[in-house]
Order: sequence, then C-alpha cells, then structure tokens
Amino acid sequence: MTEPTRTTCPFCLNGCTSGVEFNGVEHKMHYFTDAEVNLGRLCPRGNSANIVLDHRERLCRPLLDGRDTTWSEAEALIKLWLSEVKPEELGIVYSRGRAADEVRRLHGLAQELGTPNLACGHIEPENAFNHRLEGVSDAALADIESSKAMLLVGDVFSTSPVASWRMLDARYRDRKNRLVVVDSIRTRQAGFAHAFIQVKPGTEPFALMAMAALIDARAVPGVDVDRLAGLAGVTRQQLGAAAAMLGPSVPGFVGSAMHTGRVHHPALHSLASQLLAKAGAKPFVGFRETELPFGPMRFSDLRRAMAEGRIKVLFWTGGLFPFSYGELLPETAKVEHLIATSIFKPDPPVAGLVLPMTAELERASVGRSYWGSIERSPLAAPLSGTRPFDRVLELFGKAEEAADFTAKAASIADAVKMAARAADLTYAGGDWLLVGEKKAIGLRGFHDPEDEVSVNRADAARLGVSGRNYLQVRSPTAEREFRVRVIDGVPSGVLLVGTNVHSNRCLFPLAEDELTGDVTVPPVGVTVEKTERVPVAGGENLSVWA
Amino acid sequence: MKRIVLRPDYCIGCRSCEAACRSRFKGEARIRHGEVTADALLPQGCRHCDEPLCAAACPFQVIVKNPDTGVVRKSDFHCVGCRSCALACPFGVIQPGLVRHMSQKCTLCSDRPEGPRCVQTCPTGALQFIEEEQMTEKKAGVAFAVRSVHGRRL
Repeated sequence: MTEPTRTTCPFCLNGCTSGVEFNGVEHKMHYFTDAEVNLGRLCPRGNSANIVLDHRERLCRPLLDGRDTTWSEAEALIKLWLSEVKPEELGIVYSRGRAADEVRRLHGLAQELGTPNLACGHIEPENAFNHRLEGVSDAALADIESSKAMLLVGDVFSTSPVASWRMLDARYRDRKNRLVVVDSIRTRQAGFAHAFIQVKPGTEPFALMAMAALIDARAVPGVDVDRLAGLAGVTRQQLGAAAAMLGPSVPGFVGSAMHTGRVHHPALHSLASQLLAKAGAKPFVGFRETELPFGPMRFSDLRRAMAEGRIKVLFWTGGLFPFSYGELLPETAKVEHLIATSIFKPDPPVAGLVLPMTAELERASVGRSYWGSIERSPLAAPLSGTRPFDRVLELFGKAEEAADFTAKAASIADAVKMAARAADLTYAGGDWLLVGEKKAIGLRGFHDPEDEVSVNRADAARLGVSGRNYLQVRSPTAEREFRVRVIDGVPSGVLLVGTNVHSNRCLFPLAEDELTGDVTVPPVGVTVEKTERVPVAGGENLSVWA
Repeated sequence: MKRIVLRPDYCIGCRSCEAACRSRFKGEARIRHGEVTADALLPQGCRHCDEPLCAAACPFQVIVKNPDTGVVRKSDFHCVGCRSCALACPFGVIQPGLVRHMSQKCTLCSDRPEGPRCVQTCPTGALQFIEEEQMTEKKAGVAFAVRSVHGRRL
C-alpha cells in the first residue's frame, strides 16, 4: 500500500480534503481527519474518487467515430479540419471539469485562432451565481460558525452535504438560533428548519424579494409584497414570520442552491437570494459544484449557430462526458467535425473525434472554494494514454493564458425589473410538473441509478399506484419508467426525480431564460401512465436502494 | 463493546455512509436506508444483536457472535447463499447479494484500525462509534431519538 496522497476534492466547491492510497491493484479512499474544512468527512460524491480513478469505462485511447485511433492521427485530423474552415466557423465550448486557469488558456486559444465563438456550456442553473448583486459580501467559514440566523434557499444540504454540519452545529448551539428554508419541496433539510416556506416550483425569487421588502422596504423599492406572496403561493404572514428571524441585527448568512429542473429563472433566483442577503445585512454564499465564468459568447447563441450550420468545427471540452443532454446531439450532428475531450468512453458513441483527458483527480489545478482559494495536487498518476489539458490544447495551437473573466454585476433595480418580467410563470406540456432533485449520491449513477419518481400520497392515490408500482413518465424530449416512491414533501401535481443520471436529465428540455438569454433547464410539464410491470415484492414504500 | 449510534437530529439523509460502505466492499453496501418518517431517510445497519436471529437461522453456522467484541460476523467462504439470515433478521438489514449470491452483513469494519468507514465519512457526524456504556451517558434527547426511531440501537 502506498502512502496516501492528499488533495482538495473537485466534486463541489466546499474544499474538502480527500485522499487515496494505492495497493498496486486499486485505489482506496483515505480520510484525513486533520482537515480543517471537513475533518476527514466526505459526501457520496467525494467517496467516489477511487471509483472514478479505477473505472473500467475510462477512456485511454482517442476515438474516431467510436473506433480506436492514435494521438498522431488525431493531431493530423485536427490540423486538417482547422485548415479547412474560417476562424468564425470554429466553436469552442467548455463545461464542468475545466479549472479557472484552463478556461483562461482556452480564452487565449480562441484569441489566437481568431474565433469569437467561445461559450460556457455548463448549463446547470447554478452557473447563474456568476450574476452578482452590487454590495453583497461573500460568506466565510467563520460566518457560518457564528450564525444565529440562517436562510437556505433550495436544497443546500444535498448540494454540499459536508458543508451542512457547521450549519447544523450553529442551529443546535443555542435555542434562540434560527434556520429558515425556502424551497418548493419539503426536503430533509426543511425538517431542520424553524420556518419552512414551501413555494410553488420555480417561484422562490418572488418569496425572497417579498421577504427582503418586509425586512427593509427601502432596500427593494416599489415592490408589492402581497402580489409577490401570491405568486409564490404563500401568505404575507408566513413571509413576515420568517423575515422577522432574519433581521439585520442578527449575525448570520444567506445560502442558496439551484438544481436542474427546479429553477425557472436562474439569474433572478441568484439575484433575489443576494437581495435578501443585502436587506438583512448578511453575507452570501452560492452553493454549487463548480465555478465557471460565462464565455464571451452566450451558449444559447452558439447553440443557434450550430443548429443553423454556421459552425463547421466544434471543440467541446467538458467534464465526465461531452454532452449531458441528448437534445444537444442533433445540433452537434450539424457540425461537420466534432472534437471532444472526455475521461469516460462516450455512451452512446458520438460521431467525431473524442480525446482521452487526464481526470481532474489526476492533475494539479488552482481554483476557489466557497471559503477561499484552493490548490489541488494530483491524487493519482495520470492514466496511461490520456493527456493533460495543456497538451491537448497544443494540438490546436499556441494558447497563452488570457485575462480572467469577470462576474456579471447587477443592481437592485435590475433584479426588480427581472421579477416584473418573470411574473407570468406558466408551464407547457402535460398535466404533471416534473421537478428535479439534487442528490449527492447520484453522481453518474455510481451509487444510485435514480430510477425512482416521488409523488405525494394524494397523487399516488389519484394515479392508483403505491410504492410497489411503476410509472412511465413522458416529457417532450424523452421518457423513462420509474418505480414509485410515495413521500409527503412533494406538492400536489408534482413529480420529483433525481437529475444526476443522463437518462433523467434528458427528460428536461433545454430552454432559454427569457430574462438573460442563458440556456437553462426549468421544470417541465409531463404525462404519466401506470405501467403493467409486475409490482415489486415487499411492503409499501420500501425505499431501499442498495 | 463499541457500537455504531445514529443521532437522527444530525442525519441529513445524504447516504454518504452507504456510498463509503459500497466503495469499501466492492459495490455491495452493507448499510441500507429507509424512510423512517415522511422527510427522514435514515441509515439502517446491523444491530449486532445480543441474541442474533440470523445466526440461529443459519443452517451452516457461518454467522457467529464474538463474545469479546460483540460483533456478529459471517464467513463469506462458507456461505451457500440460502438467504435464511436475510429472512430471519427482524430489522430487515441483511440483504441477499444478487451478484455473488451471498448475503451481505456489517462487520463494524473490525479489520480497520480507524473504525467503521461509514462513521468516519459521515458528513455531519450523525453516525458515531462509541462504547455501549456511553450510549446511556448521552443526553436524554439524543438517546430518546435513537430509541424512538430505531426501536433500539443501530
């Protein structure tokens, strides 16, 4: 067994220290109990590091149209394809898995090649935390530890489970300490709250702005609290009681998380959370898995250019897989030559060139966590056959590191205007609303295939199903059969599914946030049907996954 | 004798314990989760009973309780996969393995000097590995929560 290697976990931005040891055959997790941020504790994602390193589906040879090829052939093809097109016909997309320094290098490459088509393809709503409200400070670890009033928007505990222990400690330290949760689903996190505001799916920003106005009317001028409360499906009294816990005189923080298929207007969600933080004089933290700056071009514009055939060569460099959404496949099919990087073998195979990349866990990088800057060292030696990002970029040309991107600053007036435009929230599609659930355990389906759909008791009775039956869920883009899970925290008319596995993500069509033009993944209207599949043995609601 | 104890008021239902266990035992977790209340998804593991019914039900006596450590262990080498233990377990925490045709059972990671892996990885410290005597010393609220949720120790 080798000495354990030590690094900062790359699977979210909490900055947990994790490590592995190698016994000559496989990697095993090692827990560093002296780590300041996590005391050696890890969430299911963090516990999957050794699975990623040893995964049998890791890509270690370049693939051309699904068949093995060599690096030299790949290099020749890239040079040939680039020579055939004009600079404006080249598109570059980066997504999860790229570190900040790598994105700066990509920016430099785009400048060198003369293409303006560089876009961030990380289309998770959490990327909207790049929209920053002026005058709101970032929360530090000390702010969490000394909190007496906390507001959590969305399921923060599922996004960053290890960050939750400090919040729970703060919540239990003093009987007077208060925890407020705003979410459309009654999650486990909501069970810890002193005040839980259950809003209609996608209407969190309205409740947050109303609460901000109740805390300080001058902070959000011209806002009709009763109307906003009505839009969110809650009462003024509920919001008033929660707002009273979050006054400016009480130290605390505001934390917000956004999940795929749960948020309708990500930028508004981000700004409304920060607006409340500002009204309550509290620091803010946006809980998310990665921090990627917006590119010079919007992804929605690049997507449109792809669909119209204006992009001939597309270089897509992402995290675990080139595409998280099946909908992107037809658009990329219109591109003449696709060059993608991946650490896993694409499933299904994609047409084009796929280059095996060194995994995040196998390279050094620098970045930021919620609580400050971090440095990551390699957890294991790079897999034979893969190449680090720098060497992949060399295949395209010289890539000097460009200046950093800046976050998009917004004012309170911008947020209020956005809210006014977002008031008419409707969902097209079927009779049922499909909403996404973030679970740390679902990473790539390593531990949980996410084959369950949650409904409340009344809806289960209406559908004539119990915890032993299966439902076929059909969205405009895909369909999948799920086993039923009956829980009370889901609102009426809503179905809840995990959004880690690709087959579930495909159920949510990509949409454009009409407020910003960013690509987003809102809840979607679906139809459901009880299937004839033989009910599973066991009692009602036997929610056991192992 | 040390035991794994759950503090339900700290468990966020993230199933990190299950992921860690699965990672240690090559994809076969020995801890499972159940919905105890409407919004609580809590881990359920072997209680290492004083009088283990799984051991009594095993036709080949491959499940044995160590009188010194109190750990109820199963020998995978001699297990024939008859599932008697899974049927006999009053808590339903022994799972018949579908791949290796052997039931999976918690061993409290007794071969691991640092203690059970699930406890070490628990993000909120909800799982604790403490002496049995300490369980009664814990504050009344926690002890009551453990009893009320699980019926007895986890």
